[in-house]
Amino acid sequence: MTRHARLLLFLALLPFGLLAASPDGSSIRFQEIGEKVKARFLHHTRIFKGPKADVLGMFTSGGSGVAVGDYDNDGFDDIFLVDSGEGRKHHLLHNNGDMTFTEVTDAAGVSGGNDPLSICADALWFDYDNDGYDDLLVARFGTPLLYHNEHNGKFRDVTKTSGLNKFGNTIAVIAFDYDNDGYLDLMFGNYFKPENLLDLKTPNVLPNDLDNAINGGGVTLWHNTGKGTFVEVTEKAGFGKHTGWTLDIGHGDFNNDGWQDVYLACDYGTDRLFMNNKDGTFREVTEKATGYDTKKGMNVDVADYDNDGLLDIYVTNITDEYMKECNMLWHNNGDGTFTDLSKETGTCSTLWGWAAKFADFDNDGWQDLFVVNGLRSAGQENYIPVLVNMITTPGIDFTNVNNWPSIGNMSWSGHQKKKLFRNLGTQAFKEISAEAGVDNDLDGRGIGLGDFDNDGLIDFVQTNADQPSLLYHNVTQPHGNWVELKLVGTKSNRDAIGARAKLKAGAMTLIREVNGGNGYSSQSTLRLHFGLGATQKIDSLEIRWPSGKVETVSVPINKISRIEEGKGVVK
Amino acid sequence: MKKPLPILLLLSLLTGAWSDGEVRFKNAEKAVASKDYPSALSEFEAALTADPDNIQYGSEYRQAVIQAKEYDRCIKFFEKLVADHPNSPNAYLNYGFAYVDKIPAAGTITQVILANTALTYFTKSLELKPSWIAYYTRGNSYLYWPKIFGRAALGVADLEQAMKMQKADSQKRSYHVRAYISLGDGYWKTDQLDKARAIWKEGLGLFPDDIQLKARLSKEGDELKEYIDDVLDPNKRVDTNLQEIWTNK
Repeated sequence: MTRHARLLLFLALLPFGLLAASPDGSSIRFQEIGEKVKARFLHHTRIFKGPKADVLGMFTSGGSGVAVGDYDNDGFDDIFLVDSGEGRKHHLLHNNGDMTFTEVTDAAGVSGGNDPLSICADALWFDYDNDGYDDLLVARFGTPLLYHNEHNGKFRDVTKTSGLNKFGNTIAVIAFDYDNDGYLDLMFGNYFKPENLLDLKTPNVLPNDLDNAINGGGVTLWHNTGKGTFVEVTEKAGFGKHTGWTLDIGHGDFNNDGWQDVYLACDYGTDRLFMNNKDGTFREVTEKATGYDTKKGMNVDVADYDNDGLLDIYVTNITDEYMKECNMLWHNNGDGTFTDLSKETGTCSTLWGWAAKFADFDNDGWQDLFVVNGLRSAGQENYIPVLVNMITTPGIDFTNVNNWPSIGNMSWSGHQKKKLFRNLGTQAFKEISAEAGVDNDLDGRGIGLGDFDNDGLIDFVQTNADQPSLLYHNVTQPHGNWVELKLVGTKSNRDAIGARAKLKAGAMTLIREVNGGNGYSSQSTLRLHFGLGATQKIDSLEIRWPSGKVETVSVPINKISRIEEGKGVVK
Repeated sequence: MKKPLPILLLLSLLTGAWSDGEVRFKNAEKAVASKDYPSALSEFEAALTADPDNIQYGSEYRQAVIQAKEYDRCIKFFEKLVADHPNSPNAYLNYGFAYVDKIPAAGTITQVILANTALTYFTKSLELKPSWIAYYTRGNSYLYWPKIFGRAALGVADLEQAMKMQKADSQKRSYHVRAYISLGDGYWKTDQLDKARAIWKEGLGLFPDDIQLKARLSKEGDELKEYIDDVLDPNKRVDTNLQEIWTNK
């Protein structure tokens, strides 16, 4: 029996297994505390000038990124919120350790980037020089900004000497060590082709096809030389032919060979999966692995949602009254192919999806899923009928921004309730956003996961376009036991991005990988979090480092442990 | 030597009785039976070129196209056919259906464009000949549009026209049940539930074994909505085979 056939048989038997495997009765609950803890900040999308200003504004309203990371190594995850309005400052929020935050943006020197010809869209903490302190990258519709962490709460702009000087309409960025040389490389996901939208030379910048567009910005891959500079290797690595409208990038070791692979979510057409050839190049395997889609890919998150030892992929698309795409939960079949189980698992419809993140919110050993949605909440009039008049005009040139109707004060897939899916552990999820207290209807974009109070429960920041950010404190009771791991590479990259932990406890075998920015417009904590349910004892914990070294370590439950490559548990 | 003569005579009479279109159509059917779709499509196209307004040829051609997934070829063929024969209502009808047939194979936005283009040609067919099939087809097509586009009322108007025509028809035809189903769906989609149930009931009186009418009448509220939404799901292939039209004249 093939894996695919076994999977179908398993799904056919699901109704008989649901009760037997029902969760422990805990209820996932969150409290929104952004205002109270000084973590609520209003985002501004860029306002364009000229007759088609609102159309361009709409097409670039995807920013509002969030990056979670412990930049000062005090053991508490901090938050960086991206703004996009001209002259608007970002917000670096220092975690005070008591679930309050202090804005330190100006003192840190990381407020800039929204100049008249650039729009900030995403951000990333990563230790590019392996000095033990996370540096900050701000991705822009423009050239990126790289800030070196000076170890004293201040950052120094090193963009000019970094080699990261190429213009791109970047909406997504990840850091990962694609060649396992011990230094973190960068991949940028670019939405538009490299035309400066704030200084348009041609009106023909929009998608050439709304289901199969090939005139987007693709991706660029930058190799970290280990000397504080980056060199572009896009073509050499095999990504040069991808010209789609990349909205998000996710990485993970999908075939368990110790090398990081890449999934690209693309708006207006086909997502792409690239497998690592282990020699600095990648091969595209989309046709065999998933087939070609025509959906509006918005997000890539990677996790082993069914605890079968293989990393799966979740992609949000658009499923609304006027467009029935369905999201994609790519179940990894382990043979180089993936099967979309979004319908079967109940995770198909999240309306106009943006970021989606897996996390075990109740520590029961199964990773749940939170999804944000909503494009534009404005007046009562709906933009869709107006837009369809344009779309159905015979011979219309979609690429020409002048052909797109103005949106004015109209709404477009706005006022949408967020979706929280509890993983029932049986290839089924239950939507519980209202009872969990996270069913806000803002225009969501990013989700930054982190255990901000180090209590073993995963909290999160939700960013919203043109609206304030939210901070949800996880107050789930009762909840299961847990462990959190802060991995530190020595031969491997210092952030240990790409490292995999495999934990066995009783009947459960759980895997987690450190990722460098998976999920739309957001980076989550670099710590690994495991929910253990009622389990009191970990039978084994194995770390596979990007260097190839495999270590077995022992850690206490309900604690955060720091593990250094080659040294084991150090704290 | 006497025996072959009558056979030859019969053969020559037969071939003489068949038009070129009929011969090519028979060839096409044979090719479909042996799943030789490239030959089938060519023969169907030849048959339609000889008899452009033949609704059966057009319909069977499209069914073969669906099997061969040659949607663009089909659209191109009908584009030329209606250009060469601009007064052929059934050619326009099949041209519209050629766009409908492509919808499940297209992306969500292309689906909208295809559906809208299909409506254009259904309208052209109606303008040339206001037949039951043309009213029913266009009316039913409007129902696939999400409520937000406000096209369901246009569908109801067409389907009411089709209903009038079939009620004036002295003969009861099996395909008339379709108008009862769709008109009820149209009423439901325009928030006229009482009228929807009434027309479905009336249809069931005439077609007591119809499972689609029974299914609708057995459901209410969200269950009915789910059922009709599923029926009108644009991602699912719509049965565009018009066989009933010529088998139940």
